Amino acid sequence: MLTAEQNDELTDIAPGTPMGELLRRYWYPVAFTRELEEFPVKHAKLLGEDWAVYKTMSGRYGIVPEACPHRRASMAYGVVEANGIRCPYHGWLFGLDGECLEQPAEREETNFRDRVRAKAGKVEELGGLVWAYVGPDTEQCPAPELPRFDVFVMDGVRDIGWADLPCNFVQIMENAVDPHHVEFLHGRYFQFMGQQHGFEAPASFAKKHVKVGFDAFEWGIIKRRVVEGATEADDDWAVGHPLVFPYNMRVGGANIEQMQIRVPIDRTTTRFMLYSVHAPEGIEFPEQPVVPDYQIPVFGEDGRHRTDYVEGQDIMAWVTQGPITDRTVEHLGRSDVGVTMLRRMFKAEMARVAAGEDPLGTIREPHERIDLPCEKNKFDAGPQFALDFIDMASSRFSPQADALKKLHITAWEGRQKA
Amino acid sequence: MTLVDPTLGLDLGRGWFPADAESHRRDAPRFCPSCAAPLGLAEGGHGLATEYWVAGDRVFACYCAACDWSGDIVLAVRVVGHEASD
Repeated sequence: MLTAEQNDELTDIAPGTPMGELLRRYWYPVAFTRELEEFPVKHAKLLGEDWAVYKTMSGRYGIVPEACPHRRASMAYGVVEANGIRCPYHGWLFGLDGECLEQPAEREETNFRDRVRAKAGKVEELGGLVWAYVGPDTEQCPAPELPRFDVFVMDGVRDIGWADLPCNFVQIMENAVDPHHVEFLHGRYFQFMGQQHGFEAPASFAKKHVKVGFDAFEWGIIKRRVVEGATEADDDWAVGHPLVFPYNMRVGGANIEQMQIRVPIDRTTTRFMLYSVHAPEGIEFPEQPVVPDYQIPVFGEDGRHRTDYVEGQDIMAWVTQGPITDRTVEHLGRSDVGVTMLRRMFKAEMARVAAGEDPLGTIREPHERIDLPCEKNKFDAGPQFALDFIDMASSRFSPQADALKKLHITAWEGRQKA
Repeated sequence: MTLVDPTLGLDLGRGWFPADAESHRRDAPRFCPSCAAPLGLAEGGHGLATEYWVAGDRVFACYCAACDWSGDIVLAVRVVGHEASD
């Protein structure tokens, strides 16, 4: 339970708010790489603000606020030039750093354009996604490096499922430090849905939690669990998997590696992305010139949530808490200790930013790859987990779902023969 | 008009617990036990007190941004002399 003021502070991501300033210290995916290949400029909403993100002919990326500094026409309809983006209305041209390079209707001898600037951010491409940083970038507080987390750079077959959800991102992140929900939402509830609709829910999700644990570490919080029949020597406890502060969760198992991404679009909208890499050993991966992306369903034709797959159940739980869940009337128990830990972490990192320090996970050194701890033998379920995952989770909506199952089975057969 | 069960504080009309919210506002620690800085935003503090329940106890998981102290404050209904071994 929190006070209304604390709940507001935790969920308000506007510029100038403690949470808004904290979140503006990180990079976020704002487009699929293929989108800017198909058309070189698009609108993106991030942290409650509207942006135009673009790619020049020479392959350089840029991002500026959507409203032109001149008379606020949309730069998302702009003309992409070799050195920046030009407003479609009167042709003002802004460079990659936001400097105003041309004002065609103004006289050349004035210095008007020197007094106008667009608040440009930084943009990079990584792993089939276009990433943007829109926070401070000064001598005292330079932009951090884009973290090259393992899933975005490792070999394997990739795809990206996504949905825009009508709720604040914090309640989604709180789910990432709530292991107990698995055995009910994805266990008992899944079984109930299966009984009602005539399918068999995967048994591996229903295992009872004997013990859960949380450790703060350099990238966030490692979540650990011991499920019935397993021990602390098993991966779920010995390795666990991390909430990657402030908006990711790294999960995996049975040769599927995944980052669950929760981008705060605005205060009550979150883009949920499932960035998956299928990487079974003992098989050659096919070339992927484009990473497939696909939208996962949130609601069925009857207007109710689709809860016949794992992430659909999560989405139902997140969204039905309300656009901004009212934490003044919640009732936390001991099993919610991970949730309280995450709130403290948000609060502590807000304080660090206010004090002029770098928040958790800021990386300033160029690097090739950041490996995150993540269990391999998920729920002590062995290789069956990969097929359960594709059949009963969001991957079933992937355009390459059948090919992925074949990939895992072929690799498994190859390993058995070897 | 809301229908409040006086025994449980249950708001039958809205299905939640306004009496709990009121007691949370009343009982949440207002100052840091370590440096005495205010915790609540309303008092100009930058701390956090998240309440959770363990049996009859109300636990406030607290964080103070002024001194970085963090810990649990328990409003216990009973002082227990012997704990179970685990």
